[in-house]
Amino acid sequence: MPPTPTIAQQLAAKQREISVAEFFERNRQILGFDNLQRALLTTVKEAVDNGLDAAEEASILPEITVEISKEREDRFRVAVTDNGPGILRKEIPNVFGKLLYGSRFHSHRQARGQQGIGISAAVLYANLTTARAARVTSKVEEEDAAHVLEIFLDTQKNQPRVDSEDLVIWDRPHGTRIELELKARYIRGRQSAFEYLRGTAIVNPHARIVLVEPDGTRVTFERATTDLPPAAKETLPHPYGLELGELGFLLKASKRPTLSEFLAKDLQGVSARAVRDLLASSGLPPGSKPAAIQGEAQERLLAALHGATLVNPSADCLSPIGAMLIKRGLRNVLGELKPEFFAPPVSRPPKVRGGFPFMVEVGLVYGGGLPADQPVQILRFANRVPLLFQQGACAITNAIGNVDWRRYGLEQKGGTGVPSGPGLLLVHVASTKVPFTSEAKEAIAEDPEIDKELTLALQAAARHLRTHLSRKSRRDFASDKFEIIQRILPKLAERASRLVGKPVPDLTPVITRIMDVVNVETKVVPDSKGVRVPVEITNYTPRPRILELFAEIPPELLAQATFDPAPDGTDAALGRAWWTLPKLLPNGKTTLAASFPPKTEVDGNDFDWYVAGIDEAHILGADPLPGDWDVRLPRTIVEAAEVAAQEGAAAGTTEEEVDYDAAEASAGVRDED
Amino acid sequence: MPPKRARASATKTEADAPKIRADALTPTFDLAKQIYEQLDRGEIPRMRLPLRTKQNLSFQARDGVWKLGKAMGTRSARKLDGALMLLRTFYVVDFINEMAADKKTSTLRELYYISEGWDDAKFHSEDESNLLIEDLEVMCERLREDFRLHPEENGASVIGDLTIKEKNRKGLVKTINCRDDVGDGGYALPFNVEKEKIQFVGTNAKFVIAIECGGMVDRLAENGFDEKHKAILLHLKGQPARSTRRFLRRISDELKLPVVVFTDGDPWSFRIFASVAFGAIKTAHLSSYLATPAAEFLGVTASDIENYDLPSDKLSEQDVRALEAELTDPRFATPEWRAEIELMLKNGKKAEQQSLAKYGLNYVTDRYLPEKLTQMGVL
Repeated sequence: MPPTPTIAQQLAAKQREISVAEFFERNRQILGFDNLQRALLTTVKEAVDNGLDAAEEASILPEITVEISKEREDRFRVAVTDNGPGILRKEIPNVFGKLLYGSRFHSHRQARGQQGIGISAAVLYANLTTARAARVTSKVEEEDAAHVLEIFLDTQKNQPRVDSEDLVIWDRPHGTRIELELKARYIRGRQSAFEYLRGTAIVNPHARIVLVEPDGTRVTFERATTDLPPAAKETLPHPYGLELGELGFLLKASKRPTLSEFLAKDLQGVSARAVRDLLASSGLPPGSKPAAIQGEAQERLLAALHGATLVNPSADCLSPIGAMLIKRGLRNVLGELKPEFFAPPVSRPPKVRGGFPFMVEVGLVYGGGLPADQPVQILRFANRVPLLFQQGACAITNAIGNVDWRRYGLEQKGGTGVPSGPGLLLVHVASTKVPFTSEAKEAIAEDPEIDKELTLALQAAARHLRTHLSRKSRRDFASDKFEIIQRILPKLAERASRLVGKPVPDLTPVITRIMDVVNVETKVVPDSKGVRVPVEITNYTPRPRILELFAEIPPELLAQATFDPAPDGTDAALGRAWWTLPKLLPNGKTTLAASFPPKTEVDGNDFDWYVAGIDEAHILGADPLPGDWDVRLPRTIVEAAEVAAQEGAAAGTTEEEVDYDAAEASAGVRDED
Repeated sequence: MPPKRARASATKTEADAPKIRADALTPTFDLAKQIYEQLDRGEIPRMRLPLRTKQNLSFQARDGVWKLGKAMGTRSARKLDGALMLLRTFYVVDFINEMAADKKTSTLRELYYISEGWDDAKFHSEDESNLLIEDLEVMCERLREDFRLHPEENGASVIGDLTIKEKNRKGLVKTINCRDDVGDGGYALPFNVEKEKIQFVGTNAKFVIAIECGGMVDRLAENGFDEKHKAILLHLKGQPARSTRRFLRRISDELKLPVVVFTDGDPWSFRIFASVAFGAIKTAHLSSYLATPAAEFLGVTASDIENYDLPSDKLSEQDVRALEAELTDPRFATPEWRAEIELMLKNGKKAEQQSLAKYGLNYVTDRYLPEKLTQMGVL
């Protein structure tokens, strides 16, 4: 007769039985299944993230199809198919039917999913709410057929249970398809599957994503590039970011024979000298077996590691989107809104917090069909995953609200909070460890280091916006002047001359007096031989001008450009080129041109023009050369600039006459006859 | 878009058209010469004009009206608006010369549509074309009729025992009594009320009452106010047209009748009175010809609203702004008007003429007007 179990044993047994189900119930919210609408989105999100990660790891251009169909009220079927490398038969049950199982739980590189809870939680949710198995189809290239498995997650044991299994012919070389039936609700608009996929498409312009909605609507986000992002390298853990538990795990799992070797080879940033220092400060013998270091010794080692002077963690493991692709992604997805301005995206250099590298990227879009009377749209991303919930609690939103956008041309009540206007902000935080506010990974937690980088990146983007808006208002003002000199003045001169019976006088002096600017006009002319960007510099001022012209363009564009005439000098790293222009007489012009290979993606906004040798008030389409360029200007240019500055000061003192037409318009007497 | 027309349609025969004097447009030739010389010297074309703003009104004691002061503004081709107005001036001059050659006249509205054919120089609104014609009046010291331009008939009406002779479109002279020879609508004023068109024959009336709203004119006529009190009723139709103001001025000058103005009690009605009695800002160059300095304001005044306990509305933000603007308007800078404007601001109330109907349909003619006219010494 077996011994009667003790009460403790009974309780323990009971506890195990309820563990997984109860874990799920208690954590529904942080797992993202706390309401029907969210459950559907989380399911889509987990499956798509897995699909993208799988394809990218195998250097395959991702192609993801999401099909959502309605079974009945509050019951939907979600099928997500990817073109990843497929999953080996023996791994399939664990990947989908076991919580906390994943290949990157201890991995040190940037990846979309981090905990390995995601897809199996969706399987569990589907099992619990519809009592239907998850149906997984997966094929690897080496095999001829695909495995089809029906999987339940055994809530008693946290183990997969395969209910049925089959081999089928699948008309694709490799890939994985997961089908789930779950209690859910489908919506459109904010926080919808559509919005999530749109965001995903923007930051993954190399992916092709198809969404089939319950009513049969098919939305395709075509890929905007066939270049895969450089794969994030897997790196060793850096000591600064280690916690006791993880150090213990690393020591135990280490195959190095000695502690010295463990420190030098299993960790990042530890030099030979640092190894000696660490051994000295922890007092541990260099020859100890790593697995033998336990308890108090482990704690001493960790303290020594945290206190040591080490090389900062490498940022190789980060996978930023990159300025070019942010622009391309935004253009690709927002193109039909015809925004007037895509700011050059800001990609901050990587920084480190704790032992983890991170970096911040910001994209800004303005005008066109974006709604003008609403708060700007904020697209938040962490490791290329759109964040749709908890916007108000997110460090990104906070950083946006702390920038005084009024200085940059957006409306903002009291200079704080999310600004209003026809704008859209894309903010991406990439890190091997993004500090989320909760396990649901919906909002980034406040962190002084990240906040600093966010603020700097946002301000840089905001400066681009301000430059754009001020150029636009100057252009509007200038377009009036161009209308006068090109259309009105010639006719006025013709009529006045006819009435007095004399020939029309030379209008050059009057034209230059009215305009009084040097105009720099950039055009983009694509043709079969390439993309030509001619730049016309016209001296619409009453005196001859000697000028130096500077161009700043993204370095990758400069590398492809050929100029006519050749510049006096270039700086490939900073993307700069400069010319001394021939002397320009009043109403005189000169043209220079940049040529790019066919289909180069280049537009007028890629060029920033700067001019030396003239007062700021007299340039249009360019800015005065900033002081921090640190270039040595030829003597003639310096003199010309001095003369221009004096002229500018003198011009400000001329007597203002009352403008008759402006006075009339403001008199408010239109109601009288 | 209206069809482009090469020239204006004739509205009258040459015999009746105002004569264009040979030298009427001479100043425009001077302008062309000036602009040519500026261009030849490399200067930005510009011209100077007296500013028609309330700050540039100056009181002419001799005439008792407000005219343009000495402040000048510059219309310059440096700005798009200025450049366009300069160019349009020449188009308008060409058009006027064309009309003279063809013996035609045109309405202001027709001029606006004629400009459709002027390419860049076309007017964007009728306001713009009207302003330019006024500029020409100022520049050439002429009336727009001298340029063969006139407004559309706007039919301000007269009811009362006033006999006039009008030379009609067919050149026939009709003698009309504005009470006995007209229908309920009264005698409609033509746009031209000059002596060559209208002559006063005689009247038994003792005064003229100029009224803002048509409903009130009808009320007074129906109640027989004009006969009982020997009054001429003149409908202002809101802000009165030039012809209405000129007609009042002629009655005042030639028939020596007192003129009282009866409007709503709100800031806009004060402006109606100002343009009748003091001279309007836009036509300040013509004040000695259009304004009737002898005209007096009858009401509704701010104190009437209180004294007669009239149904009132709260002043809107716009109303308050208008009153505040009037406090800086030199025409209202008398102790009486300041007190009136400040009282209205203080009470925050405005009332319509018709609010007097609170006490019945006869109240205005039996009680209010006799009381007010007695106070004013008219009755």
